[in-house]
Amino acid sequence: MTQKIKDTIVKGVVYLATGITLCVLLFIIGFIFIKGIGLINWNFISRDYNDTTFYAFVQESNSPTTLDEKVQENKSDYDKKYETPLEAPVYVESIGAEITKVLYKNYTTEKEQFIISYISKGSPLLSAVNSNGTSIDVSTDFVLESVNGNEFTGMSTEEVKTLINDQSGELKIKMVEPGGGIRSNIITTLYMILLSLVVALPIGIFGAIYLTEYAKPGKIVNAIRFAAECLAGIPSIIFGLFGMAFFVVALNFQISLLSGSLTVAIILLPVIIRSTEEALKTVPIAFREGSLALGATKLQTIFKIILPCAVPGIATAVLLSIGRVIGESAALLLTAGTVAQIPGTLFSPGSTLTVQAYYVTKEEGNIEMACAIGIVIIVIVIILNILSRIASDKLNVFNKE
Amino acid sequence: MDNKVKFNTKNLDLFYGDFQALKSINMEICENEVTAFIGPSGCGKSTFLRCLNRMNDLIDCVDIKGEIIFDGKDINGDIDVINLRTRVGMVFQKPNPFPMSIYDNIAYGPKCQGLKDKAKLDTIVKDSLERAALWDEVKDRLNKSALGLSGGQQQRLCIARTIAMNPEVILMDEPTSALDPIATLKIEDLMQSLKKLYTIIIVTHSMQQAGRISDKTAFFLMGEVIEFNETPKIFTNPDDKRTEDYITGRFG
Ligand SMILES: Nc1ncnc2c1ncn2[C@@H]1O[C@H](COP(=O)(O)OP(=O)(O)OP(=O)(O)O)[C@@H](O)[C@H]1O
Ligand SMILES: [Mg+2]
Repeated sequence: MTQKIKDTIVKGVVYLATGITLCVLLFIIGFIFIKGIGLINWNFISRDYNDTTFYAFVQESNSPTTLDEKVQENKSDYDKKYETPLEAPVYVESIGAEITKVLYKNYTTEKEQFIISYISKGSPLLSAVNSNGTSIDVSTDFVLESVNGNEFTGMSTEEVKTLINDQSGELKIKMVEPGGGIRSNIITTLYMILLSLVVALPIGIFGAIYLTEYAKPGKIVNAIRFAAECLAGIPSIIFGLFGMAFFVVALNFQISLLSGSLTVAIILLPVIIRSTEEALKTVPIAFREGSLALGATKLQTIFKIILPCAVPGIATAVLLSIGRVIGESAALLLTAGTVAQIPGTLFSPGSTLTVQAYYVTKEEGNIEMACAIGIVIIVIVIILNILSRIASDKLNVFNKE
Repeated sequence: MDNKVKFNTKNLDLFYGDFQALKSINMEICENEVTAFIGPSGCGKSTFLRCLNRMNDLIDCVDIKGEIIFDGKDINGDIDVINLRTRVGMVFQKPNPFPMSIYDNIAYGPKCQGLKDKAKLDTIVKDSLERAALWDEVKDRLNKSALGLSGGQQQRLCIARTIAMNPEVILMDEPTSALDPIATLKIEDLMQSLKKLYTIIIVTHSMQQAGRISDKTAFFLMGEVIEFNETPKIFTNPDDKRTEDYITGRFG
């Protein structure tokens, strides 16, 4: 009887613990999704974080396009989030678009601007090109600043309309593509993953090969293993400090993609060494014996038999590493910086998605954007998971028919 | 039979750490014969066999004393181990085909020796599989994984793989213990045909098998060779009482 009660209690505790874990998980993910999903759209992913200013060359339309009444009703698809209309929208025939004067504010600035609020079907804006002749995707929320050198500041919407309509021939319009996107962060993250893996994977794999295949078991091997385990347990801010002192300052790599990826590579090493070692150890001794008995050298045995068998394990290591790079913030904050730009060279700074999430939360209090970044990260992780599973299935020598 | 001596061991002792697994073994193994090792479990048959192509190098705490002369040279002395293993091949108790295609399994050894010529490799693969009596069964699936073969086919593949190196000696450690009687018979037939070309040394737990296929038989007990003689003599009229007991099943 008492045994039964004990069982029930233990069972209850187990269920409770599972339930709490699940609830917390669901709550977090739910929170992130609800908070962030509103921001997720193609612009969020494809645009830079900072505003981009450029000149668009537009051929003034000869037969002025008229406003498409039907569409005008639901033309409000521009991002109203940071904008309050100041004057009624006005249709400018010569560029086939409607402009609105708005008070534009984001977390840092607040100013009066003219934005494109609607583009009609035959609008010449749709075939706009930049100074290099490449076409531009003008869309409804771009800011107009000047036409043929005449600034719009201080004008009313009607004045701007007249000004634009008075121009003839090719119009040179200064436009601003609003920022707020994370394209640069996505690209920086991919660079960071690639670079750190390029550095850490070979070193880690060769290290693991040395430890399992060559090193005589003894003090030195144990010391190396112990060191690797310790490295795995050290908080990443310590690596960040080291990377800052060594790569950034001592080697003068600056706060850059290179410093960041080298620092992360060090963080990845223990992960890669450990999982590769595990993978190598599970390769049956019969394969080694079979290979050596055929007159293969040790090196041939390792590269032709043992490593191919260990590929699924190594794929796991790669996956773990990618997760680690994506999740890394403290170390990268110190070594790769918080500049939301696509690093032009190895020596330019750039912020990964996670760092950007930290940055917008901390510096701008923009939790919404942080959550949206969170969603993107979750999606990337899921995709990578699936990809690596497919890859390791495809590469698994034991699966082949 | 007056065949040339291939292996000659002199006072061979082998220690696993403190444990002496082989005690002063003196044995002459002749060319183009099948030599069988029999004896109870743990008596050192595998250990001795593995000495002959230095597979014991893989084990850390092994200490070997005495000489193993192979074609006039001590193989524990200053010789090329890789070369030795290409001349003395080995088939293991459990079939261990590599997780790659049938073709690649056979081509593996020659490729490791630096052979790249596709045409030559093709001939080697075909020849070896034919000599291992496996060609007809696998000729349509050479590029399929070797792991898809049955146990008996896998073991013949391992033999083919060894033959592909064109060795002088083939060591076999209980090659049929994991196989059914039909597969076993196939491999025994195979050994009979291979013996014209190679020297075969086989460890077996089956008296019948030793009797059927071997020319000479060595009886091992507790790390010693109790008796080594022509197979018919061992099975009909052994010199040592212990051999007789073991063969008639009265042992222990
Ligand atoms: N790697 C090893 N380390 C320590 N002792 C070993 C090792 N391998 C074998 N031995 C010991 O050496 C002795 C001989 O082993 P061996 O494998 O040669 O026996 P065997 O005659 O082949 O037996 P079986 O018929 O069961 O295969 C056994 O007592 C075994 O415990
Ligand atoms: Mg054995």
